[in-house]
Formats: sequence, C-alpha cells, structure tokens
Amino acid sequence: MTSRPPTLREKRRYVLVQIEPVGILLDQKELYFAVLEAVTSLWGDAAGAFVHPAVVAIEGSFAVIRCRRGTERELAIALSCITSCSGQRIVLHTVATSGTIESLRERMALMKISDNEDVQPVECAFKGHLCTVCKCTGQKIDVIEKGFKNTTRFFLTKEDLEN
Amino acid sequence: MNFTDACVFPYPTGDSSIRRMAIEACDLGFDSIVAINSTNCKYAGISVINGVFLNDTPVQDIISKVKRAKVTDNLIFVKTRDNRFNRAVIGIRGVHILYGLHLTDGYAFDHVVAKMAADSGIAIDLNLSPLINERGQSRQHVLNRYIDVVNLYRRFEFPIVLSTHAHSVLELRSVRDFSALATLFGFDIQDVEKALGNIGRIKSLESAVREIK
Repeated sequence: MTSRPPTLREKRRYVLVQIEPVGILLDQKELYFAVLEAVTSLWGDAAGAFVHPAVVAIEGSFAVIRCRRGTERELAIALSCITSCSGQRIVLHTVATSGTIESLRERMALMKISDNEDVQPVECAFKGHLCTVCKCTGQKIDVIEKGFKNTTRFFLTKEDLEN
Repeated sequence: MNFTDACVFPYPTGDSSIRRMAIEACDLGFDSIVAINSTNCKYAGISVINGVFLNDTPVQDIISKVKRAKVTDNLIFVKTRDNRFNRAVIGIRGVHILYGLHLTDGYAFDHVVAKMAADSGIAIDLNLSPLINERGQSRQHVLNRYIDVVNLYRRFEFPIVLSTHAHSVLELRSVRDFSALATLFGFDIQDVEKALGNIGRIKSLESAVREIK
C-alpha cells in the first residue's frame, strides 16, 4: 500500500502534555484509552471520531497526543477531564500545541533540565506520619506514608518535613 | 489578585500541604488561592486567603457563625439550599460566596435571588470539579445548572467565582484549563478573567473606606 501524497493527507496537530505526578510510569495504550474515554464522554461518538485522538509518544513525564487540525480546543478540554489512568491518579497539563512532533521534542528538552532530580528513598516525618520520600523536584517533595499497604501519597515541600 | 482559584482544601482535608498547593498554583498561572480552614499568609509569591465553609446549618446559626468568622478577615462560603434559604442567606451581611449550586434544584437560584446577589455583591461559586470528575447524565445536569446561572449572570451581573475544590495538587487546573472548561457553559475569555479576579475585588471592597451619609 502506497502512502498518500502530502497534499492529500489529513492535517494533524500534536499536543504536548505534562503528566503529573512526576515519575509515574504509564503505558501508552492505557493512556490512549483514558484519552479516548475522556473525549468520547465529553463530546460524544461523532465529535470524538472527528477529533481522532492518538497517543504518539510518552517520554518521561511528557506525552505527545495527536488530533485532527482544528480540534485542539476540544482535545485540550477533554484532557483536563482526565483524572486517572490504569488505576493511578494522574493529571495532564497542556503545555503546547504544534504541527510537528520535532518542535515539541525541542520544547520537552528545554523543560527536562529541571526535571531530573531523583532521590534515594529516605525516611521522613510529616505531621506525625512516618513517610518515605519517593520524588523530589526542587522544593516539591512527594512522600508515601509508611503503613500496611503503603498507598497514601502526600504532596509536600521541603519546609513541611519535620526532619 | 488577578487570578484566584476560589476554593482548595489543603492538608488535613486533602493530601497536599498548603505550601505545595501554593507552589503548584503559581506554576499553573494563579497569583492567589482560597484555602479552606487555613490561615491568611503568603507562600512562593502566592497569597493564601483563608475560607470558612458554613453548610447544612439553619439561618440563625449562620448569622452567629458569620459574626465570629468576620473578625478574622476570612472569606465566608455558605452552601446553597432551597430558594427560601438562599434569599435569607443573601441578606446576611458578611457572607461572601454561595457555593454548591449544582447540587440544588432549578428553583433554588431564580431571578429574584440573582437580583439580590447582584445588589448585595455576593458571589456565586461555580465549581469545576463536577465537570472534571463526573460523566454522563450527572455532568449534563451540572452543565445545565451552570448554563442557567450564566444566563442570569448576563441579565443581572452578579459576581461569579470559579474554583476547583481541589483536595490534591492533582486536582488543580491551570488558568488555561479554567477558560477551556468554562466555555462549556458559555463563558468567554473576558468572563473567565473577570470571574478569576472577583475574589480580589471582594477583598478590596471589604477593606475599602465607605462614606456613610
């Protein structure tokens, strides 16, 4: 099958989103299903088909999401309605929209400079809760409360910790 | 205070500390937030305004609670109920914001209440979290209520504030997301900017010197 000439291809736009909490590992397919569900539930099947969303890439804490040109606004609104993906609480913050993936990669490279602060899991205390630090970016610290199931995640700053 | 998220719930109600919420709000384009059961302070260049929620209490109790809360320069939120309750609450001096309109029926906020809110300068809080978290019929119900409120807003021009009611930094949304979500119920960019700045206006009106004739 030959590919269509560029003039006959449909025009697309690429939306760069930042995935929070930083450091979470997401499967591309799972994120696609979350985006599709958000678009379909908000705009319906017909408009959802016209938006034609697809997750092109996940690189670190960023994802590139494709849509048909002219439907970026609809996609951005639907993206702000995503609250979880494969059982994990997430939020997608729209960073930029572009006609090429390349320009979004340049944007990503600029933003990644301040985003690479991994820490060793150390114990700390917050308001009487014994916690383990799981992510540290600048002043921001994410900790997980130590307990039977280790599931409660607190979003704090360095000033909030007791030791 | 140009852009304010009108309601967030820091720790212990939520899972994020007030400092972290302030930093995240700053990153998302806000310059102030209203934190429920917190203290008036400033973190990372973000003004944190303390808010007090008064819900499910009779009007008499609200009057006494408002008197107590007014002393400490708090923003006072009262949960809307039926039409009669809303009319009574709007008449109370010291109440700043009515919230929870999407949980009431269509008659709770009619043209009379809208006119009273415009006259007394009491703002109506439009909570964006049901638009984000709900799906299907319940989200449609919320959108219908908000469209109805916006129609009354166009006629009477009472103040509207927008909020996320975020219990976590993961529930905060950017100014861009606010304007995008607000288009769902008929707000344009100017309306959103005005709504995000209304907390600042309420605070400045409260502290302004008034001439008594």
